[in-house]
Amino acid sequence: MSNSESSFCHIALVPSGRRGKVPLGTNLLEAARALGVELESICGGRQTCGKCQIVVEEGNFPKHGVICTADHVSPLGEGREAAYWQTHGFCGRRLACAAQVLGDLVITVPEESQAHKQIIAKAATERVIDVHAAIQQLYVECELAQMDDRRGDWERLQQALAQQWGLKNLSIDLLALRALQPALREGKGALTVAVWQDTEVVRVQPGYAEGAYGLAIDVGSTTVAAHLCDLRTGALLATEAMMNPQMRYGEDLMSRVSYAMMEPEGVARLHKAIIEALNKLAVKAAAAAGSSPEGILDIVVVGNSVMHHLLLGIDPVELGGAPFALATSGALNLKARDLGLTAANAAARVHILPCIAGQNGPDNVAVLLAEAPYEQDETTLIIDVGTNAEILLGDRRQLFAASSPTGPAFEGAQITHGQRAAPGAIERVRISRDTLEPRFKVIGCEDWIDAASPLLTLVTGICGSGIIEAVAEMFVAGIIGSDGRFLETAADRSSLVRFDGRSGEYILAGPTQTASGRAIVITQNDVRAIQLAKAALYAGVKLLMARRGTARLDRVLLAGAFGSYISPWHAMVLGMIPDCDLSRITTVGNAAGDGARIALLNREKRSEAVRQAQLVEYVSIAVEPAFQREFVAAMALPHASDPFPQLQGELPARRMGESRARRRRRLSMQRSGVPAERTDE
Amino acid sequence: MSEELDFTQIEMSELIEMIHDYLYDGMADEVVAGVKELLRRDVTPYNTLTQALVGGMDIVGVDFRDGILFVPEVLMAAKAMKAGMALLRPLLAETGAPQVGTMVIGTVKGDIHDIGKNLVSMMMEGAGFKVVDLGINNDAAKFLGAIREHQPEILGMSALLTTTMPYMKVVIEALKDAGLRDKVTVLVGGAPVNAAFAEAVGADAYCRDASVGVETAKRFVAIRRNQVAVGKP
Repeated sequence: MSNSESSFCHIALVPSGRRGKVPLGTNLLEAARALGVELESICGGRQTCGKCQIVVEEGNFPKHGVICTADHVSPLGEGREAAYWQTHGFCGRRLACAAQVLGDLVITVPEESQAHKQIIAKAATERVIDVHAAIQQLYVECELAQMDDRRGDWERLQQALAQQWGLKNLSIDLLALRALQPALREGKGALTVAVWQDTEVVRVQPGYAEGAYGLAIDVGSTTVAAHLCDLRTGALLATEAMMNPQMRYGEDLMSRVSYAMMEPEGVARLHKAIIEALNKLAVKAAAAAGSSPEGILDIVVVGNSVMHHLLLGIDPVELGGAPFALATSGALNLKARDLGLTAANAAARVHILPCIAGQNGPDNVAVLLAEAPYEQDETTLIIDVGTNAEILLGDRRQLFAASSPTGPAFEGAQITHGQRAAPGAIERVRISRDTLEPRFKVIGCEDWIDAASPLLTLVTGICGSGIIEAVAEMFVAGIIGSDGRFLETAADRSSLVRFDGRSGEYILAGPTQTASGRAIVITQNDVRAIQLAKAALYAGVKLLMARRGTARLDRVLLAGAFGSYISPWHAMVLGMIPDCDLSRITTVGNAAGDGARIALLNREKRSEAVRQAQLVEYVSIAVEPAFQREFVAAMALPHASDPFPQLQGELPARRMGESRARRRRRLSMQRSGVPAERTDE
Repeated sequence: MSEELDFTQIEMSELIEMIHDYLYDGMADEVVAGVKELLRRDVTPYNTLTQALVGGMDIVGVDFRDGILFVPEVLMAAKAMKAGMALLRPLLAETGAPQVGTMVIGTVKGDIHDIGKNLVSMMMEGAGFKVVDLGINNDAAKFLGAIREHQPEILGMSALLTTTMPYMKVVIEALKDAGLRDKVTVLVGGAPVNAAFAEAVGADAYCRDASVGVETAKRFVAIRRNQVAVGKP
């Protein structure tokens, strides 16, 4: 190894995925900052506040190309940091400000150590739900024991419930049974019982009591959100959300499946992490609503199929490759305690919505419930963009479901200055058609920013909605062509477009506007990554339209946290979605969370979900014979051949005339200084 | 093509350059016409292949690598190349022209994403290789069977998922067990794959894209031929 190489170390930061090289001996707080991850620090690096805690992940990480051992950071020593841990209890973490980089490292930055906390956009929206929960609270007056009645108290309660409420063939949870006699005594025969699905008594309380609560939980691969609801009134009492703690084992779904495959304890760890998270959320939601987790009697959980398996503690290995076989596709009724969900009533029930297929899980079924396209005459397209784009398309006659391999580019991954949606990220972009000057909006700052704006906030990167708008604007402004290539003519128009050799890039934010002091740019490769992702989505939609036998979409619903931020016009200019009346493209927020809430509050909807999940026809896009043709045609902006009447007059004219080869020859002559014959491009 | 092209008055070097341009622009009919004209002038099928077609696809490969061309343009070029090859293939066999090489390629078991693999396959054909494409979802037995049957210099494996790429190691171990590992150069690629992974599973090289794949395959074939020439195993 040469000297210059050995004096730099590779650092990978998770969960942000940031990586890069820093000089040997760099302070870890500085190193993280240099790679674009700002750590919390109140004391400013004096090793006292303890806010910049990080975890050194030991092991071999082929994904990052890093082998990380404990001696790749400077030892704890006996200074201030050691004193800090003595007072606060050493937990295996280090203070970044006290540690020097001595070798290649993989560093986990815990959520609480990040200076810019993630914004969580999942809030339950208002929807009309008929409340008919699986849990019913019933007041009942029960005969007390008599010398000549040899029946047990439970049998007397059964009789009372049959007579007063018409409920027969009931069973009782063992823990409720244990509470029965004390409750009868205290209530002098009067009881309030909670009955699940008219079949099982899950709680008995003395006398008249109110208050039965339920949790609707959406386990996203990035964010987990829990909605606490009153099961009687349907009222939404609290919503709590947090990052999915499984992130530390893998940023995207497939890397979590890999983790489960490779690590002997992997499945157990992933399972434990999500269960702990759900318990935390339940406690927080109950506290926010001023009640206790004891009152939670019913829980509905949705998530994609991998989340579904990990929640159940089932090895998701079969979901890691074709044929993507589910352990079970049916709906499940479980006891919370069997899953380890302890932050609820000990006898609480859990309902898990069914799956459609290996890549379309309960979250998709929840979206179906929330939007009910099966009740519409119009052709509806619902897309939920994540690492995979999940697609539902159809109407009351027939519905199709599919999952398109878009990859993580829309989430800001694989993009030079891409990042997750967090304060500092560019989320909206406009580019002047004349001067090519950009204006943009940054998360955490109200106003639009341009080159002349006062520096109220520093830019850290571009998030998914920002990159979509940026590439669409670059196309309309003539910076890139319909084929995605940077146009040399744009460099003549503005110094914001520059060419390094033959490869172009666009400067979106200058060095003075950014946290790193380096320009934030969109490169040719970034445009290519977005082209691949959007082509996969568009091609998937086209295949489902062909299966449904329709050439037109009546309406498009953009679901998921990310969907809420996508500008319909830009999505169409980019060619993420086929032509559709722009006023009929709407965002529907966290439809999966809403669907979970519907299933929590209305038991008939649970059977409806089972029915619809079976009726939906699943299409395996990647193996459809027409996929490659559609995919390649969809790589152009907005598309190689499909018309977009809704965008009439707004797209740049197709450039005809000079052939690619001719242009290539002309440019190479220009570069080598040979005066070329002018052509009118 | 609306009018008949008349190449007869064009100088040889210019004609070859024109075929390069037709390939670059993905114009299949024009490529075929150019190839016909070269053959009419008694250029050997082998020289037509290497100078006009492979030479043209080299330019396409470089511009794909540099981001100037993208998948749709490269696929069009590859299709034009294929049209020219269709004309040449029987003539090459007749004249006993030297083989550039043979490649067996496929996505590994569990992986059904084949667009990247198809692109490699086409670019390899563009470079004059005979390509045996096994399609998607191939287990080790299928790879081994094809290697025994076609005796390729190069085996290419592709995977799009982190969950399917470990299967590459299974195939390489099977090659070792069958005593075939030294007979073939193993190249791996796909979105989640990298050089460290390639080394870890015992592949000969990782190829970032189709263009790098072609360059790497050519390099390894040349090394193999040299070893044979000097009598090494």
